[in-house]
Amino acid sequence: MEHKNTTYPFTAIVGQEKMKNALILNAINPKLGGVLIRGEKGTAKSTAVRSLAALLPEIEVIADCKFGCNPNERAGMCQECVNRLEHGEELPVEKRRIRVVELPVGSTEDRVVGTLDIEHAIKKGEKRFEPGVLAQANRGILYVDEVNLLDDHTVDVLLDSAAMGVNTVEREGVSYSHPAEFILIGTMNPEEGELRPQLLDRFGLCVHIEGIADLEQRVEVVKRRASYDEDPAGFQKTWEEEEEKLREAVIQAKELLNKVTISDDMLYLIARIAIDMNVDGHRADIMMMKASKTLAALNGRREVLEEDVQSAADMALQHRMRRKPFQKPGVEEEKIAGIISHNHPHSHEHY
Amino acid sequence: MDWTKRQIFPFSAIVGQEKMKLALILNAICPSIGGVLIRGEKGTAKSTAVRALAALLPEIEVVSGCPFNCDPHEYEGLCPECKAKVHKGAVLPTTTRKIGLIDLPLGVTEDRVVGSLDIEYAVKEGKRRLTHGLLAAAHRGILYIDEVNLLNDHIVDVILDAAGMGLNIIEREGISYAHRAEFILIGTMNPEEGELRPQLLDRFGMCIEIEGIQDSDERIRLIKLRECFDKNSTDFIRYYQKHENNLSQEIMRARKRLAGVKISDEMVQLCSELALNAFVAGHRADIIMRKTALCIACYEGREEVTEKDVKEAADLVLLHRVRMPPPPQHRPEEKEEEPPSPPEEKEPEKEEEETENQNQQKSEARDEEEGDKKDKEEPERGISDIPMLDTVFPVGYAFKVRKIQTERDRSLRKGSGRRSRTRTSSKAGRYIMSTMQRKTDDLALDATIRAAAPYQIHRRRKDVAIAIEETDIREKIREKRIGNFIVFVLDASGSMGADKRMIETKGAILSLLLDAYQKRDKVALVAFKGDRAEILLPPTSSIELAHKLLEELPTGGKTPLCHGITLGYQIIQSYFHKDPNIYPLLILISDGKANVSQYGGKPMSEAMEIADMIKDDPRVNTAVVDVEKSGMISFGLAHQLSIRMGAGYFKIEDLKADTLVNVLREDLLK
Repeated sequence: MEHKNTTYPFTAIVGQEKMKNALILNAINPKLGGVLIRGEKGTAKSTAVRSLAALLPEIEVIADCKFGCNPNERAGMCQECVNRLEHGEELPVEKRRIRVVELPVGSTEDRVVGTLDIEHAIKKGEKRFEPGVLAQANRGILYVDEVNLLDDHTVDVLLDSAAMGVNTVEREGVSYSHPAEFILIGTMNPEEGELRPQLLDRFGLCVHIEGIADLEQRVEVVKRRASYDEDPAGFQKTWEEEEEKLREAVIQAKELLNKVTISDDMLYLIARIAIDMNVDGHRADIMMMKASKTLAALNGRREVLEEDVQSAADMALQHRMRRKPFQKPGVEEEKIAGIISHNHPHSHEHY
Repeated sequence: MDWTKRQIFPFSAIVGQEKMKLALILNAICPSIGGVLIRGEKGTAKSTAVRALAALLPEIEVVSGCPFNCDPHEYEGLCPECKAKVHKGAVLPTTTRKIGLIDLPLGVTEDRVVGSLDIEYAVKEGKRRLTHGLLAAAHRGILYIDEVNLLNDHIVDVILDAAGMGLNIIEREGISYAHRAEFILIGTMNPEEGELRPQLLDRFGMCIEIEGIQDSDERIRLIKLRECFDKNSTDFIRYYQKHENNLSQEIMRARKRLAGVKISDEMVQLCSELALNAFVAGHRADIIMRKTALCIACYEGREEVTEKDVKEAADLVLLHRVRMPPPPQHRPEEKEEEPPSPPEEKEPEKEEEETENQNQQKSEARDEEEGDKKDKEEPERGISDIPMLDTVFPVGYAFKVRKIQTERDRSLRKGSGRRSRTRTSSKAGRYIMSTMQRKTDDLALDATIRAAAPYQIHRRRKDVAIAIEETDIREKIREKRIGNFIVFVLDASGSMGADKRMIETKGAILSLLLDAYQKRDKVALVAFKGDRAEILLPPTSSIELAHKLLEELPTGGKTPLCHGITLGYQIIQSYFHKDPNIYPLLILISDGKANVSQYGGKPMSEAMEIADMIKDDPRVNTAVVDVEKSGMISFGLAHQLSIRMGAGYFKIEDLKADTLVNVLREDLLK
């Protein structure tokens, strides 16, 4: 049991900066809409996501609410909480870490969206809704390992609720809807098949990772893993300081985030990139904007710079490019760089 | 629901997409237009707009407390309960309320759509009573289906049935009931995910196609607005409240004025002319076009319909109804004059029927992207020792696939109701409805309880409220979208460029794709050329995407046959992880002349080895289409390969006989 409760510290993961960066950005700004981590087997994908939980900030929740409603925001509350408030009830508030809820690939649809409460139905002869994984994931992180292996119809229901942050259940005699706003984090190994484009687009960011080629770093990976396996608690303690530092950095960036501004020049650049890279729809623009602001905050700046836009574009466009045959998925980084350097004369004409 | 309404991005704050906004507003003014289908790429505010519309909808008068939203002024349309009240001489209490927007989630089960037995009432009273479903709630309102193309077939049938008659008839679980179900159907979809059935398509009064905004200033405005909303949604919504109110009032005013708007005979005639030019089926297009034109005129504050109104209406109404000219008039070489508005690609029903010139039109319609793709060159990793340049061949003529339609029934378990997954013990798939037949031990608890509920009064119950007996047990009927899974392994090497082979091949694949679409099969496409093979199209049901890829597929380079087959086989294997019940078919299209080795051995023997391996896998069916022209010195390599693979063997010439698809199906898919 003890072993299960410890996770490998996030900061102890060697390399994979892109992935770590994308995850940290999401911890700072939950509105980034999650990350899809694509990569070969054994590249610390799952480890990183699981260990992220320890870095996540605390949120205020209504203690006895199944959906973890936010006590300060009535608009987003579930029906029960609203009812209780209307009856003049005082709702108990508690603080807790943002949760990481795992959605196993074999999940059945009823467990995902929720279903009829069997026990209650048989004992009392009444219908009651039994919340599923989406309820647990409200205001937290929904983590799907091997997301590309998820059943098609499970993906459908996931899309449905991810779109509006509401889970509407109309099945098995139950009619219910509740808030389901979550950050979607998925990992996948592209060798096992691609993801449907519609689901791809739901991930705010996407990073592609590979095994580390550097010999020394590889050795370090093995060493650290070995000492973690020997004594997980002790290993955690050694890294606690690093973890605390990062946690602090996340909190600071979170505070700074609201003060970060983005100039029209940078917005123009974002729009330009989106148009020139020929992406579908507008989600890419919005994500680039949000990611670059969060990056600026993480770097302790109050203003978005070109470099922020560039790395944001890298993460936000990775999975949104219209692919051509015989072309690897991913962003043509040089093309983005080209657009950025080309942008200078233009931007001044425009604004 | 309180919280959904308040967090919604205001309708008037949506940037651009004027056509979509107009279509939605027109439907709010005149619900009898019959709804709208919004097709568009992801991230174009489709869902946002529809949900925002709810806030703008005008009010209607309903009988208060009636679950069916009965109209107190129309005796005929009243539900049985309300009628009974009127018979007793009571005056129906009325109230006004906003038109409802009912969300139909994709995971919906049949009992919630049509309504089912009221369990609680049945247990207590021992009597059967209906709890109304979504169709009842949607009466006189809007039924909204997000990602409508992903909705389960059976549910679609149920909804179509009700929508067609305006009546929901319930005969289930010992309940017999009928009530009015007249609603506006609004659907959004991303065509990438597969098309909609023509029958459902026609149900939508209007259909519009939207895409992302290309103007950078507008894009920036959009980003900024979104950022404001995310920062402080309450303030943002408050700021837009005035606009929203104005729009809402405008809709109300237009509604009142609508009856007074006139349309001249000339304009009515124009409607019919436009419909005729588009070769629409039936008369729904004319009727809806007329209504829409009236609405447009009314919304713009005019009292008489102008030609512009009609044209604008045609634009909204015809897109999904345009068909190709009927066969007698049809000459392949001749270009029909285009009807005024609708871009005529992406019509599934049309794709089924039409033949030759479709492909040409398609490629033209897409020329904006084509420009840079046409002259695409071999990517860097191509090999240098073969000087042949890559060429992109057009897609050859698709032949008719009409003949195959007879097999639709055979494609079993897909059709309504009859689909029972007897062969598979798997409990995977979407639960749609229940059955009394006991086969799978997949208990449908809700249905079981409903079956047991009415008898509870008479049963001996110990500690439970519901005692279940053997006869109550119901099982789930589940549906899986996937029937067959076809993996095309296509030779795109230089030798395919000769004698227009590639053109024919592309045409052949296309016709197979079209067929696969109708069957809701999954397809994947692997192409090999140069020094490697690549998955061009991961398993998908999007024919459009496949077609696009096919069009752009370059030809040239060496023939890494072994890698191609291996990759195709790998896709199948990895798909088995996802769904062990699929019925995979690997179709290799090549002349069999391998000349690139994958493992360092002889290219040809490597290919033969992998062929042997596939033969040993009983789950996988295979077919080889030989593109080597007969008559010349032929090597017969593809034939040898097919024997080693245990595959069906076909010549490219067979393709033209438009029989291949049939043969393939009969031979290989049982």
